[in-house]
Amino acid sequence: MSGRTRTSQRRDFNIVVLGAGGVGKSCLTAQFVQNVWIESYDPTIEDSYRKPIDVDGRQCMLEILDTAGTEQFTAMRELYMKTGQGFLLVFSITSQSSLNELAELREQIIRIKDDDNVPIVIVGNKSDLEEGRVISRSKAFSVSQSWGNAPYYETSARRRANVDEVFIDLCRQIIRKDNSIHSSREEEHFGRREDHHRHRHGHHVHISRKKGENGQRRKRNGCTIL
Amino acid sequence: MSSKSSIRTGGSTNSHSQITPPATPNGSQEDLNQQMEPPHPVFHNFLRAFYPFHPTYAISDSTVTLPLNEGDVILVHSIHTNGWADGTLLVSGARGWLPTNYCEAYDPDSMRNLLKALLNFWDLLRSGLTTDSEVFGNQEFMRGIIAGVRYLLEKSNCLTRESAMVQSNDGLRRNRKALLSDLSSLVKTAKRLQEYTAGAGQMVADPDDVNNTIDEMILKAFKIVIRGVRFLDVLEDDIRSHHPVHRVMATVAEEVYNPPTPPADSTSFDGSQHGDPACDAISRRSSRSSASAVSGSQSFKRMSSAYSSNTSSARPVSMTRPASVHMKRQSVSHRLSLTASIPAAQRQNLVSERLNASHDTFLSFLGSFIGRLHLQSQSAAELLLSVRQSVTAGRELLVVVEAICAHDRQSAEALEASRNAMYDRINKLVVSARDIIKSSSIEDEDVVIPQQNGGLLMAATGCVKAAGECVAKTKFVIERIGDFEFEAQSEGLGIDVASIGATPVNRETPTEDSSLTKPSKEAEVEPASLPPPEPASRPPPPPLIIPSYEKPLPEVPLSSPSPNIGATNSHLLPKGTESTAQHETAESATTDSSNEASRRSLLPPLPKMTSPLLTSDDYSPSENSSAHDSEFQSSFRSGSIAISSSGTSSTYLSGMRDSESSMLSQASTRATTPDLSVYVPRTQPSLSDLSVSGSQLTLADEVDEGESKMLEKTFAHELLHNKEGQITGGTLPALVERLTTHDSTPDAMFVSTFYLTFRLFVTPVDLAKALVERFDYVAESPHIAGPVRLRVYNVFKGWLESHWRDISDHQALSVIEPFAMEKLGKVLPGAGKRLLELAQKVTSTDGPLVPRLVSSMGKTSTSIAQYIPADTPLPPSYMSKSQISVLRNWKMGGSNPTILDFDPLELARQLTIKEMNIFCSIMPEELLGSEWTKRSGSNATNVRAMSTLSTDLSNLVADTILQYEDAKKRAVIIKHWIKIAHKCIELNNYDSLMAIICSLNSSTIVRLKRTWDMVSQRRKDMLRGLQAIVEPDKNYAVLRRRLHDHVPPCLPFVGTYLTDLTFVDAGNPATKQLPGVGDSEGMHVINFDKHTRTAKIIGELQRFQIPYRLTEVHELQEWIQAQIVRVKSSSEHENVQQYYRKSLLLEPRETMHARTSPVEGSNPFSTTQNQKFDIFGWTHSREKAQSAPTSTI
Repeated sequence: MSGRTRTSQRRDFNIVVLGAGGVGKSCLTAQFVQNVWIESYDPTIEDSYRKPIDVDGRQCMLEILDTAGTEQFTAMRELYMKTGQGFLLVFSITSQSSLNELAELREQIIRIKDDDNVPIVIVGNKSDLEEGRVISRSKAFSVSQSWGNAPYYETSARRRANVDEVFIDLCRQIIRKDNSIHSSREEEHFGRREDHHRHRHGHHVHISRKKGENGQRRKRNGCTIL
Repeated sequence: MSSKSSIRTGGSTNSHSQITPPATPNGSQEDLNQQMEPPHPVFHNFLRAFYPFHPTYAISDSTVTLPLNEGDVILVHSIHTNGWADGTLLVSGARGWLPTNYCEAYDPDSMRNLLKALLNFWDLLRSGLTTDSEVFGNQEFMRGIIAGVRYLLEKSNCLTRESAMVQSNDGLRRNRKALLSDLSSLVKTAKRLQEYTAGAGQMVADPDDVNNTIDEMILKAFKIVIRGVRFLDVLEDDIRSHHPVHRVMATVAEEVYNPPTPPADSTSFDGSQHGDPACDAISRRSSRSSASAVSGSQSFKRMSSAYSSNTSSARPVSMTRPASVHMKRQSVSHRLSLTASIPAAQRQNLVSERLNASHDTFLSFLGSFIGRLHLQSQSAAELLLSVRQSVTAGRELLVVVEAICAHDRQSAEALEASRNAMYDRINKLVVSARDIIKSSSIEDEDVVIPQQNGGLLMAATGCVKAAGECVAKTKFVIERIGDFEFEAQSEGLGIDVASIGATPVNRETPTEDSSLTKPSKEAEVEPASLPPPEPASRPPPPPLIIPSYEKPLPEVPLSSPSPNIGATNSHLLPKGTESTAQHETAESATTDSSNEASRRSLLPPLPKMTSPLLTSDDYSPSENSSAHDSEFQSSFRSGSIAISSSGTSSTYLSGMRDSESSMLSQASTRATTPDLSVYVPRTQPSLSDLSVSGSQLTLADEVDEGESKMLEKTFAHELLHNKEGQITGGTLPALVERLTTHDSTPDAMFVSTFYLTFRLFVTPVDLAKALVERFDYVAESPHIAGPVRLRVYNVFKGWLESHWRDISDHQALSVIEPFAMEKLGKVLPGAGKRLLELAQKVTSTDGPLVPRLVSSMGKTSTSIAQYIPADTPLPPSYMSKSQISVLRNWKMGGSNPTILDFDPLELARQLTIKEMNIFCSIMPEELLGSEWTKRSGSNATNVRAMSTLSTDLSNLVADTILQYEDAKKRAVIIKHWIKIAHKCIELNNYDSLMAIICSLNSSTIVRLKRTWDMVSQRRKDMLRGLQAIVEPDKNYAVLRRRLHDHVPPCLPFVGTYLTDLTFVDAGNPATKQLPGVGDSEGMHVINFDKHTRTAKIIGELQRFQIPYRLTEVHELQEWIQAQIVRVKSSSEHENVQQYYRKSLLLEPRETMHARTSPVEGSNPFSTTQNQKFDIFGWTHSREKAQSAPTSTI
């Protein structure tokens, strides 16, 4: 029933941006969403957080839910998380505690989604503040690897470095996951668990290989940008 | 000379200047300059005649042609493609058609501010639409003119009478004096107008008087500009005489046999363009440079021909407006005025109006369409109709945009992307609509169910957004190239609307297999068949009404305007026009002959003038229509009321019911209190002050005295306004000046925003210094020094009394105290003393000395009275005696009651009271600079308390549910909470609603399947409805819609405000750029718009800071508080995980079973997504269940 709408060109992606207060999430989102032509940004309208992007030739409409400002309403997190198909977990490379807080958020996401492979991108923001860095790139990268091989990006919302990239990566993950679900759903009709399990396994390998590539490329990118 | 426009910066001091009429032909250097910097098509607001034009032929009765004298300056309203401009002659105030080829752009650097001010002046006073009579009250428009004159004198080093320049040149001195005396005269007239405005309360001013005055003022303003022009002329002459340049002679000589008249245009267009005669003022001006160069002296010829060939290869015409631009379609360029200075009927045809109108239409159709999509269902026919309406409207909008693209190629490039995006979106809408209709017809039902609407909704909102972006860009382009007249026949842009309707019929039989493959039958709706409009493949542009160039009217200039034009010249003229005419006829032969008659009549009929000014002599203001008069009249009246009550009536912003304004008036009246008896302050200093002092002077002194008045130092040019007149940016001195204007009460919104947010853009010390600086420099203008200094004092006083924050502001005292003692004390001893006292008090007192009515803005006594009459009886509480006794028993150490013991409404009420108490104590300061997110030492105690209480309430919900082993009991509790939530919404308590819903909808509770099975469908439906209200989807669209214009009492969800504030901060830069002058980059100024947005959001929150009129049940409050404390202490941290574990204990995971939430989101997308993920979920949960130790129990 939903097949027809899904096959139409543009797809909706619900993306949730999470992270401790003060890591620059809102700047990241605002930078991504803002149109250069808009003279001043009004966050109070319906379209404030929607943005179309092109992911590998696909037209995607991103609806971004950014919790900035309401971090203390901890009971509300689940409300946000429920709607998300993909998550940006943002910390600041200048704050150890902001990275620590991500662990809890990630666990909560996985619990709510009941899925270890929820599309997630780990984002180290404020890469322009190299002198204030307390989390090394390798440290952050190893953390992200331990979190189901989630891709790790370093961004600078202020300089608009890598901003689009993190959102695009997340969309790729969602699309890939979606495709695999489609195929797995078909298999389900036949032999349920085994087939599904097998498929899932293959899927996982695929992702991690792909992520390895991404990680490498990203590192190179990072060096030039930072 | 024609190239002057491109070298604005150097203009006034350049030895061969552009202003001397007849203009000297282009200096070669300037041409080179021009080459360096790619010019942009610019609509010139002012032209200056460099050649006399005295039409000898009979003027047709429908058109008025203006005779021009050499050197006349014209304010241009529009320029027809045929080269005629509709303009107002400054010297007489007469309006009519004039040949632009006799004129050149007039925009010398030192005159720029004055000219700009004149434009505003004209727009403001000439628009019959000026309903905001505040304009007249605050004399803002006068300041621009004054600042413009000052700028001119400053630039030319003639600011003071004593300057060497003035002393040395008698002509200069006389002109300067005349200029200032005219300015003084205008100020007086303006003062009279202000009196009318002020007096409107008691005595109805004669509308005629008002209009007479306005007309008089316009003429006077014109005169000032003319004086300015002459002044500059004299200055140029002076400079030239001191630094003679041999070229002057050469050019003058050249001028004799080669007056740059119309021929230039036609020849150049002849040669370089496809004989397209249409051209606008800019291209004319530029091409004239090359043309005259060709026929000019040899040396010039060499230079400029090199130049022109160069440019023609590099960019088609020196001119920016490439020769190949399709000008045929463009008929008239209009000045885009900020206010509506052109009568509505005429405006309709302006492209900017069209753009706005079609955008509005499009949005309204889309709006109702989107609105309908939210309904449960609708018939395919309805859907079809609304899609068709929307698409038709969108198409019309696109036609307008297309016309603009066609008008100017550069714009076409700039607009390409957004235009295509909009095109795509509309197509998308068509496709989605078709898909839906198709699918519904397959299923043979006439109803489209909401689930299917997702795509459509997306497409429609996409349209809204794309249209918004496209229109924004287009407006930008219009502003750059000038407005023009435009007549669109709506025409398909390849979107076949009708075919959508046809599709369902077509479809039934042939294709039901896929949504992607399309039978050829409906190819016309297929997206592929609708490529974004390429210039080449674009359907023919809508026929516009083209002024017929071959019309007799404009040919007039050919009949050699003055006898001394040489034969060489005159033969050029006819030739050029002839050939262009031929071209034109050839090109548009098909339409021409048939439409000629009709077109002729459409030709430049003189615009109906708002201005009755025909000539200064015979103009009679009584010609004004009475409607016009009454409009003015009424606006005056209302304005004066608002002003006299100095803001307490809070007409300003509905969202900002601002007691700041009343504070202001308090502050200013307080200045009159006895301790200030030395000084008799005027709360509303106005221009009348000027006249009072002025009248005491002898006539001889008047002008001289006026000088100092007029030339007050000002930073007004460093302010940025938006189109509503609100300040959006400025330097600190400019903002401070605005805060302390001598002649008007500062805008309440501005003042409150400033007080609230200044710490975000300036340190308190710097603010204090800037205020002191203002106090100092106003001494240069003695006539306004009094009121300004009083205002400076008042700003300090307001700051210290009501807005002081000692932690951050303390250092400013080191500036304020010496200021109070010395400078202020000398001038206003009483004020100095008072300020000193305040400065000493603020350090010792905690909190504001003069409290801002609790937390101020939202709660003037009037606003409370408006919503909750004080005599409304409190609703009786729903507490029975037994319930009270249960609570008493509990307090004595008896058993703890449960929520089931109390009525849901009463619980909801008490929760509401509890939360509202905190909400009402939120101070605006807590909401600034993300104060509430600070990890330690946050001063936002009340905001923090709100979030804590919200979280606690959520935990309490979970706790009460999870306390029972028995699923049935849990279900009862859930039901009770649903009822409480429902009562919360009845009380408009969105904050508690959010907390309860979050908990009921959390994974911890949602997963209790056995429990939910025992909750009735009715309750689940109720919950689903409540949940839809707080859905974060689309930026909390539902919640925002509900809160918009919501009437208090209401407790909104605080989180959205916090997010909005965070994003206003993150999404708007700290500074803005002033428009650059000439080549130079504009300076960066404080982005005040950002702070205004912040203040507006805070104001919106404060709007709801009005307590409920509900009876507080003390016992119940105590019990609730105790429960919250209990929950908090029992699980100091990690609440969520703890509850989740408990939930797992109560109902262990069921493997193999895909969970579905009992209350799924209303969003069709999220539903499908969750289901998808659940397919993974089952394996995952099985694994997890095995590994999780708790689940083994």
